[in-house]
Amino acid sequence: MDNNGIKDNLRPPAAKKIKTDNFGITAILSDDYKKDITLMQVHSCEVESKQQLQAVIKELALKLPHFQHLKRVHERNVLICPSDDIKDTLEQHLQLHQISENVLKTLCRNVNVIEVPASSAKLRVQYEQMTKYWPCKFHPDKYAESLQNGSNFTVSQRAYHKRMAELLWKLSKDVNDGQNVGICVDPRRPSIVAIAGDGSSHQHCVMWLVDHVARSQRGGAWQTDQQFVKDEPHTKSTLSGLPQIFYDYLKQDAACQDLRLGAELPRREEQQPQPEPVEDIHADNLCKYGPYLCTGYDVYLLREPCLMCSMALVHSRVKRIFFLERSDNGALASKFQLHAVKELNHHYEVFQFTM
Amino acid sequence: MATFMEDALVEARRARDAGEVPVGCVFVHNDKVIARGGNEVNVHRNATRHAEFICIDATLAYCREKRLPARQVFSEISVVVTVEPCIMCSAALHTLAVKEIIYGCENDRFGGKTVIDVAAVVGQQINITGGVRADEAMSLLKDFYKGENPAAPPVAKKKK
Repeated sequence: MDNNGIKDNLRPPAAKKIKTDNFGITAILSDDYKKDITLMQVHSCEVESKQQLQAVIKELALKLPHFQHLKRVHERNVLICPSDDIKDTLEQHLQLHQISENVLKTLCRNVNVIEVPASSAKLRVQYEQMTKYWPCKFHPDKYAESLQNGSNFTVSQRAYHKRMAELLWKLSKDVNDGQNVGICVDPRRPSIVAIAGDGSSHQHCVMWLVDHVARSQRGGAWQTDQQFVKDEPHTKSTLSGLPQIFYDYLKQDAACQDLRLGAELPRREEQQPQPEPVEDIHADNLCKYGPYLCTGYDVYLLREPCLMCSMALVHSRVKRIFFLERSDNGALASKFQLHAVKELNHHYEVFQFTM
Repeated sequence: MATFMEDALVEARRARDAGEVPVGCVFVHNDKVIARGGNEVNVHRNATRHAEFICIDATLAYCREKRLPARQVFSEISVVVTVEPCIMCSAALHTLAVKEIIYGCENDRFGGKTVIDVAAVVGQQINITGGVRADEAMSLLKDFYKGENPAAPPVAKKKK
């Protein structure tokens, strides 16, 4: 009985182990990809015969070029303009836009105010909802669909992401007092470039992580008592972004033996792109120019980063961010969605692990 | 406080001469500059080494040396910087709750006030004054970006 009791007591920590079955990776997409669609009020009219349509459409397309995301005509109904645009009467509005007398008369006869989708459909689920209101134009985006339904990763990619999720959790618990932990990975091999824990004040885990990545490129600004792995001479990749304490942990853990460690060395110094590297999103700049900041690298974080850290990762040109837990001050999902700000000059993808 | 912009501009020029993006910053505490610096991104291969962060680190070192409470010192600091702090720096300065930020020209690409409302996201209001000797700060940036960068890949060039 006693023995069984002890066994039962031992069970809870074991149950904490991450379950393999329910592992999921959810893309955190901007509001443009939300399933709920927004509607707008518009003035429309039903013309008496289809023969009138051609002249009406021709003139509307020229003088009131609204609704690029919608079909202008549905059966004998024509969209005229957003209701909010009309200051006084529809007639005055049409006169203001120099609609010819004939068309104006046609348009003002059978007027209805209806609701139509306010913006274009990015995903099929949105499109299917939108067409219930009015026929829409739709250009399917295979990649966006795959992000939305989670089919964007291959089985082996998913398996690697899952290992990183488990590693974050283990490193935090076993090495870093339950504090935040970050791992930077070169996804091409894949190989762990740098690992970092939390510091004090503004020295959050992400800020350390980008500095450790800098160390792998013969840079790095922050002084620290931490020991870093020293490279063997004539090595082809560098371990200098890895603090010794994390490295030793990975080396003694049987489950981590096959994990590849190290970063590609920076290529010839004089060839380094300087302040603003290329903005050609179709080219893989990591392959073309070698390591530069965090270009092409993935970052795995135990906790959703704050605004400072999220912007640090924009400046560092990270490719993708994966995190496990949301934070109250998180700037990618909880408080804000920095990666949805179109004005920024770099955009990474964001995923949350669900267990 | 705006008189300290000259000190910040000196740091910006120093950064330019070192091949860094010419942004300079000083932290003023009791009418005295206690931290100064320019961008150090390229030398450290670290995109977060902005002038403001150089000054934040220097201030923490100053507080350790003088045995001063950092939190209180930050709350009494006026940040004088040649360019509007970016979202990252602005978030850091709001979180550290500095007394005020005085900047030169706007940063329309990733300014922490112009592009997004950092104060609302962080949940901390700070007095921010822009436009102090903005033309000088802006012309430093323009001259810097005008210069041909021999290391830049050819695809980076935009058609005019």
